[in-house]
Amino acid sequence: MKILVCISKVPDTTAKISFTDNNTAFNTSGVQFIMNPYDEWYALVRAVELTEDGKGETTVINVGPAANDAIIRKGLAIGADKAVRVDAEPKSTHQVAEEIANYAKDKGFDLILTGKETIDYNGSELGAMVAEMLDQPYVSYATHMEVEGTTASIKRDIEGGVELLEVDLPAVVSAAKGMAEQRIPNMRGIMMAKRKPLETVPASAGAEHVAVKSYELPAAKGSVNLIDAENMDELVRLLHEEAKVI
Amino acid sequence: MHTYVSTDHLRFLIHEYLKAPAQIENYEKFEGYDAEAFDMSIDAAEQIGNQHLYPAYRIMDQEKATCENGVVWTHPLLAEGLKAMTEGGWLSSTAPAEMGGSQMPLVLHNTASLIFMGANANIAAYAFLTVGAANLILAYGSDELKALYLPEMYSGRFQGTMALTEPQAGSSLTDITASATPIGDGQYKITGQKIYISGGDHASVDNVVHLMLARVDGAPAGTKGISLFVVPKHRPKGKTASEGWEPNDVITAGIYGKMGQKGYVAAHLMYGENENTIGYLVGEEHRGLSYMFSMMNEARIGTGIMATGCASGAYYASLKYAFERPQGRHPSQKDPNQPQIPIVEHADVRRMLLLQKAVVEGSQALLLEASLWEDIALNDSSDAAKQSHLMLELLTPIIKTFPSEYGTMAVMNGMQVLGGAGYCNDFPLEQYYRDIRVNAIYEGTTGIHGMDLMGRKILMGKGDVLKALSARMQADIEACAKTFPDEANALGASAVALAKTTTKLMGILQKDGPEAYLADASLYLEYFGLVVISWHWLRMANVASEKLANGGKLSKKFYESNILTMQYFIEYELPKTRGLHARLNSDKRVTLDASPELLV
Ligand SMILES: Cc1cc2nc3c(=O)[nH]c(=O)nc-3n(C[C@H](O)[C@H](O)[C@H](O)COP(=O)(O)OP(=O)(O)OC[C@H]3O[C@@H](n4cnc5c(N)ncnc54)[C@H](O)[C@@H]3O)c2cc1C
Repeated sequence: MKILVCISKVPDTTAKISFTDNNTAFNTSGVQFIMNPYDEWYALVRAVELTEDGKGETTVINVGPAANDAIIRKGLAIGADKAVRVDAEPKSTHQVAEEIANYAKDKGFDLILTGKETIDYNGSELGAMVAEMLDQPYVSYATHMEVEGTTASIKRDIEGGVELLEVDLPAVVSAAKGMAEQRIPNMRGIMMAKRKPLETVPASAGAEHVAVKSYELPAAKGSVNLIDAENMDELVRLLHEEAKVI
Repeated sequence: MHTYVSTDHLRFLIHEYLKAPAQIENYEKFEGYDAEAFDMSIDAAEQIGNQHLYPAYRIMDQEKATCENGVVWTHPLLAEGLKAMTEGGWLSSTAPAEMGGSQMPLVLHNTASLIFMGANANIAAYAFLTVGAANLILAYGSDELKALYLPEMYSGRFQGTMALTEPQAGSSLTDITASATPIGDGQYKITGQKIYISGGDHASVDNVVHLMLARVDGAPAGTKGISLFVVPKHRPKGKTASEGWEPNDVITAGIYGKMGQKGYVAAHLMYGENENTIGYLVGEEHRGLSYMFSMMNEARIGTGIMATGCASGAYYASLKYAFERPQGRHPSQKDPNQPQIPIVEHADVRRMLLLQKAVVEGSQALLLEASLWEDIALNDSSDAAKQSHLMLELLTPIIKTFPSEYGTMAVMNGMQVLGGAGYCNDFPLEQYYRDIRVNAIYEGTTGIHGMDLMGRKILMGKGDVLKALSARMQADIEACAKTFPDEANALGASAVALAKTTTKLMGILQKDGPEAYLADASLYLEYFGLVVISWHWLRMANVASEKLANGGKLSKKFYESNILTMQYFIEYELPKTRGLHARLNSDKRVTLDASPELLV
């Protein structure tokens, strides 16, 4: 079985978010980047589980500049067999999807996995776009997946229960929590990663259809006003007059 | 804000201060360990620390190890943490590839150890012990011993220990009496007792392998008659592991009720109570202590790391508190209606925080440079490499003692930052305080290391090694003088004063003999340590200043903080050498001539 896992680079969860260029670009200065956790913990680890021990081959793909190689190597250290980086500055999901679809279309992947969303833009768009471009079925938010022959059995959480699905391969699936357990790269994996192939392919996507006009931060939260426990009247007055909740 | 260790600082040390990947890149053994491999390994170690070690730190103290009917119970989180470290490849990281290891440079292994020990020494120390014991077997054991024990130790199934101490032989290993009677085929009947044996017995592993010192019958008295044995709790039934294992008459008399490190067992062990303990000789008879000591540099760096890890955890816990706890107002603010300010606003609290940061990060620099020297010394035969090895030998007493003694002082200040909360167990400071204290005791007490520094190390090569260190320091001080003239001057003056003190003490050795010479060895060790750590700080700040000007991997705030910490250390800690200088240069023999009878 051949699996392609789409991995994305995102700011560390503790990063302070700010913007530059007249609020049209994310300010990357001093920000630590990591592999998107949904891609890493669930999509990639499940792919490795399904292909390790000679059962197949996992390829990771990233669309981005050479600086992303460190994160791609982590994918290899976790257990992917090879990696591809499409040498393009990612600007929109559509562009990234087009790059991935262009790469994947004649490679015969049985499965293309993505995380259910990235933790920066939270768009949940990529998988559906890739599926559409490749004319393949798409299942989102998978929490469990088994593959038997050319069929994948998938579970996903729905309101109040679990849905069981079967999908014909090749297909695109987005992975959510539950799909696998996070793996910390071990030393053998880290050192082997250096010897695994990381291919760089040129960009091929067409014109952009979506452009970011500007970003805004949410309004700052107000300060906390502590009211003395003895002073109930004041509390009631503030809730009534200022917070207007009673 | 970091929780227990600053990986930013560790990366600064590795990439910008020591330039470690470039320094080891030409050694075949370390092929593949480039900057990226260092970073990925540090990341992986941090993940293990965050997910498997740190969350268990408080719990393992509250639910401490116990022993009932000779069976030692340890918290299940110990087994889980060890499993994560083993699966991560950290038990075999420095082992050769043919043993399934990753041939990792010590400088990287120890960077990870600083993370693990910061996260939870009560787990990491077990792994550290196993690695140390395995290294001994690897270096001196027969092929049979290697085949039997190393795979089991590297895979975490067997615990390793170092069994030296006996009731009458603690600091004085000359007095070891555990005995070994040859029964042929490299095997010996062992009898005796060992006390305080860390990791000496526990239920999280299948077997415990003691690297034990004992005297073969008829051996000469003193340290020359001591041999090294593998004495397992369960011995092999045959020549190979596949034939199974049987009990080896190693009895756990109990575990010690300790002040700290309550998850980390120290056992009292009895060997040969039923005349049925078998030991397997490592290397040759009578050479045991020299084998043990050949591993001492690494073991002592390890103890320094343990102390530094603990002090680092305490620093970050107190730093967090200092930003969150509102108390008091600025001295100039007389209006009680004004809100209270976070205690970090008080200069005295910042002093306590800077003290901790300076001790922790200064120790980290010392420990990682020492580790790098060991890598160079073991893989290179150039004169520079030999010099590095001698430098490491010289500084080993400081590498072990400065983090242990000043680390304890740092944690005490961390506790003080929390006030009453520091003393109570809602916060971890009281645990850090209890846990760090033992580092100045085991692996050689501070007193013993002081005597090692004065009695052996500074005399090495008739004082040439010390001279080489002084020359290195002098060159660095000159290189930093342009950027930091005041601090360079201060350190230069202290280094000269230390050299004068050394000369004075040498005169005492000639004139009055070793008792007088060694009487204040601990103070000399402290003096030396303060100068060495100041030397690291000045060099670190020089790099930080260069990065501020030309750009580095870390933020502007990081480099500014580094320079501030250097200024703190040189301004507040280095001047303590003046008191030590005064004492060491005085002719009054107060303690030397004091009659024990007057100690009433
Ligand atoms: C928790 C714990 C874990 C330990 N783990 C291990 C272990 O795994 N394996 C192992 O073998 N041992 C272990 N030890 C033992 C440890 O190494 C010894 O406790 C240590 O070496 C000191 O020996 P001692 O306790 O007998 O103290 P002593 O040697 O009695 O020393 C008492 C004091 O006298 C001073 N002193 C002693 N001799 C001299 C001298 N000649 N000149 C000047 N001052 C002197 C010492 O500096 C010290 O201050 C452990 C100890 C503890 C507490």
